[in-house]
Amino acid sequence: MAATKILTKENVDAEVKEVFNRAEIHFGSVPNLVRVLASNPSMCTSITNFLIQSMGPGRIEWGFKELIILKTLRVMKSFYGYGAHEKMALDLGVSTDKIGDISNSIWKSSAHFSPAEKVVFELVEQIGLDANDVSDDLWERLRANWDNGQLLEINAVITTFIMIGRVGDTLGVSDPILFTKALN
Amino acid sequence: MAQLPYIEPEHADPVTKEVYDKAVARFEMVLNIFKITGNAPEIAEKMWEIFFEILQDGQISWYQKELLILKSTKMGECLYCVTQHEAVSARLGVTKEKQEDIVGVEYRTSPHYTPGEVAILDLCSHVVLDPETIPDNVWAVVKKHYDDGQIVEIVATIGAYLQVSKFGDAMGVELEPVWNGHQPVLFNIEPPKSKAVQRHLDHFLSHSN
Repeated sequence: MAATKILTKENVDAEVKEVFNRAEIHFGSVPNLVRVLASNPSMCTSITNFLIQSMGPGRIEWGFKELIILKTLRVMKSFYGYGAHEKMALDLGVSTDKIGDISNSIWKSSAHFSPAEKVVFELVEQIGLDANDVSDDLWERLRANWDNGQLLEINAVITTFIMIGRVGDTLGVSDPILFTKALN
Repeated sequence: MAQLPYIEPEHADPVTKEVYDKAVARFEMVLNIFKITGNAPEIAEKMWEIFFEILQDGQISWYQKELLILKSTKMGECLYCVTQHEAVSARLGVTKEKQEDIVGVEYRTSPHYTPGEVAILDLCSHVVLDPETIPDNVWAVVKKHYDDGQIVEIVATIGAYLQVSKFGDAMGVELEPVWNGHQPVLFNIEPPKSKAVQRHLDHFLSHSN
């Protein structure tokens, strides 16, 4: 049971209804996280807008973004949305080998990941361990593979899903059926 | 040292410039944490929307949110955030004694904290450490003092500051020169556990004096 009420379109004001509509178009249905946040229209609006921006094509491929999200949720031992992001990754063409190989330290020896992808997973693990201690050496390897805008986006995806995982887990919501529509 | 360039206002694209203008209107300057997001304006635009909402009175007061920010970022050992929010919270009336008592569980018996504040700081500690193990009695006390909209704001504030603190720390965002001379309050009560944060603190203090 969620910690706060899960609202529906019928019991929210026009501002939140508009947020629900945008979320429905993007995610295929209104995520339960968005419906729980709706008790606070301003937080619901700003967080949903950022979530929509985060989950989609960007400076890095969406499929890889989903792998970063899955790795982040695993590192943070966060359960919110894990199944939905696995489905999303599959729908975007990410192989089950890759999805499986992001587990614990398997990614390090996996043949399914490029050096550019592996260095990002190293960053995810380091942020989970101590974000203050990301070494210059790791940053050099990140910069050798990704440009500044991509690195900003990678860091934003990792830390955003630390936030989303924490908020979702704290409020006790699950979202196993996101992305029910075919991807464009 | 920051690992990505700070995008100065004169080099910012129109979207980033608009974010910077909002930051100046609210906080009197463009902090380094804003400048680094100029590397991806579309992210800056949406990400900062959340923080502009948080850093004002909402369904709970800005003052209450500052307590949550101090607690969550101290637990996350973010020198950058703690330093900024020691100053911001002080401007809003949080005394030095009250700031000091937020460390550990001192706030529970501190005369400076109300029962409602104690309730949300207890919740905050659990959210930072492990949201899967929040005891029933913690929720019961929170719900005695706050309604659903307020609880969403409390949890969102904690989550957002976990995000931005790790976001800035991972990229090595530095405290601005304006903070030189600031005497740390929370890290003076309880030094950092992370050796990396202790190094950052030592470096900051050596430039402050």
